Amino acid sequence: MAAKTIKIIVMLVALVSVNNAQDLFLSGYARTYLGALTTGESEYSIIQNTFDLNLEHSRGNVYFKVNPFLYHYSDKDLELGFRQAYMDLYFDSFDLRIGKQQIVWGKADGVFITDIVSPKDMREFLLPEFSEIRDGVTSLKLNYYSGSSTFEVVWIPVFTPTQMPDDNSIWSVKPDYPLPYSLDYSNADVKDKLSNSEIFAKYSLLSSAIDFELMAAYSWDDDPTFHSEKIINQTTGMVDSVMLKPEHHRLSTLGGSFSTTIGPAVFRGEGAFYNGKHFQSINPLIADGTDEKNYLHYLLGVDYSIGDLKLNGQFIQQAILDYNDYLMNDEFENTVTFLAAMDFLRETLNIELFSYIGLNDGDALIRPKLTYDFVDGFQIMVGANLFIGDEGQFGRFDKNDMVYTKIKYSF
Amino acid sequence: MKLAKIIMMTLLVSAIGITVLAQEKLTGQKIIENVYYRETGEDATSNLTMTLINSRGNERIREIKQFGKDYGKEEKSIMFFLSPADVRNTSFMNWSYDEEGRDDDQWIYLPALKKVKRISSDSKSDYFMGSDFTYDDLGDRHPSEDTHKLLREEKLNGEDCYVIESLPKEKGYMYSRTVTWVIKDKWIGMKKEFYDEDEDHLKTLSVEKYDKIDGYWVILHSVMHNVQKDHRTIMNLKNVEINIGIDDGMFTERMMKRGI
Repeated sequence: MAAKTIKIIVMLVALVSVNNAQDLFLSGYARTYLGALTTGESEYSIIQNTFDLNLEHSRGNVYFKVNPFLYHYSDKDLELGFRQAYMDLYFDSFDLRIGKQQIVWGKADGVFITDIVSPKDMREFLLPEFSEIRDGVTSLKLNYYSGSSTFEVVWIPVFTPTQMPDDNSIWSVKPDYPLPYSLDYSNADVKDKLSNSEIFAKYSLLSSAIDFELMAAYSWDDDPTFHSEKIINQTTGMVDSVMLKPEHHRLSTLGGSFSTTIGPAVFRGEGAFYNGKHFQSINPLIADGTDEKNYLHYLLGVDYSIGDLKLNGQFIQQAILDYNDYLMNDEFENTVTFLAAMDFLRETLNIELFSYIGLNDGDALIRPKLTYDFVDGFQIMVGANLFIGDEGQFGRFDKNDMVYTKIKYSF
Repeated sequence: MKLAKIIMMTLLVSAIGITVLAQEKLTGQKIIENVYYRETGEDATSNLTMTLINSRGNERIREIKQFGKDYGKEEKSIMFFLSPADVRNTSFMNWSYDEEGRDDDQWIYLPALKKVKRISSDSKSDYFMGSDFTYDDLGDRHPSEDTHKLLREEKLNGEDCYVIESLPKEKGYMYSRTVTWVIKDKWIGMKKEFYDEDEDHLKTLSVEKYDKIDGYWVILHSVMHNVQKDHRTIMNLKNVEINIGIDDGMFTERMMKRGI
């Protein structure tokens, strides 16, 4: 597979070299990323070299883009693939995009509420850059335009789940279960067939007073639910362990988002109602250890500047409706995000602090970052990812505090 | 910031109305209003190259393709960033309004985020893309925001000019005063000196090349020199086209994402 992908990339590069540069546009970047844990013996958490290439070509009303990437690690196999590979057809009032593509919806920053079309790559938790955290999906996207309105329909014929970390990864999260367990992946795959395809629809308006989006989806939950099967000890007749079976479920979603300017501030909101989401139970008496509930996820945020200092804050709430105490998740989970950023030296030096703060568990992820454009297209970044707390979605990674540097050359 | 004005007004100068204006008794206020309200054509497009030079002589280059259209009481503009490589495909759209006190609407499309974000326009003293030009410098400052006084008339680079001193009405504004040399028969601000809050000379804008394109005067080459930090920003305009009938669909979310 890897050899095949290398061949394709080599062919694409060869194509560039023999083709007329006016026809084929080439851009991309090379990047070295080195991260070290600050706890224990300061082990490297990541040593990664990235090569990311964009090849674009357009002829009249047709456009084509392919975005191969290559990740080289010190301790893992070479990883190659296509982040995106699609073609566009442009008509007077509608566009058609066919192929592997990253699709981003919603107004939230760093939070996924209506942004559920492209699955996520969570192998390094929420730390990768936004362009890398979303996986491209093979799909057909139709956009119809009328004035400032856009109607978008996306059909995804084959389901792609969230990419989870390997079991031995520092980002791997073990199922939080009160009994010893083993895993059975026999129900984990969604078969590739027409009836299992996903469909998403969105209406969006961009106007002077307000921008908003309304969306609906009939899709699969990108994250699996762990169903449990009790294993009874033949000698004692008691349940002494469970078999956990990860399984994806159908999910219907209705949602929307908006942003508007009031004075010097931009206010944003986003929310979604998920019908039939499965949650895990801590009560072993509950059949197969899961329960189906409706679920709300919403956000309110504001962007504001004080001089050159740009500030952003968001409040996010996840609420399980018709809640039962035996569910592993809290009835309400509240999170706050905060961003402060400032440019110096004619916008060549940027200092940023971004943080997620979990209000339920008093945990946080704090991400200070300094970026310097040494020359145009050559960027040096140093930063840290600091996990605060002992439990919760951020606190559970308390031992993964890291400092890192990235050096990136764009062309 | 009013990018429509950056494209439509700062760079384009009409000769219309000169005869009438020349017969009037001109005050400093009137002269600056004539520069601000000059006719600019229905629409325009151009390629803008900004060269940022620091005190050591190191250069950074930003290239932009820009489109602007005047809808009467509303102006729309869109910019597509062509270089440097790490900002390529970023686009920026601005809708500005004649209505007094009404802020511009602005959006930015960042290709890494793959979404169009609404941003606040309350940043007129910000520097544009790290250059020595603030958004106000690029043409957004309304004449009513300053008190203008005609100091004298004199020749500059062979052109007859009015010399106007402008004092801000707002306390604490980033410039304590500016002095502008306006060419009499073209209504171009040919040179402008900016003084900081301590009344020390901060910057000088010099227009070095202008030409008549499609019946309109266009500034093709200008330099802003920050004399305190010894920075320079050179603005070069190429491929200027005026009144070409730019489609309304250019100023939409669709084009921001699609690019050119």
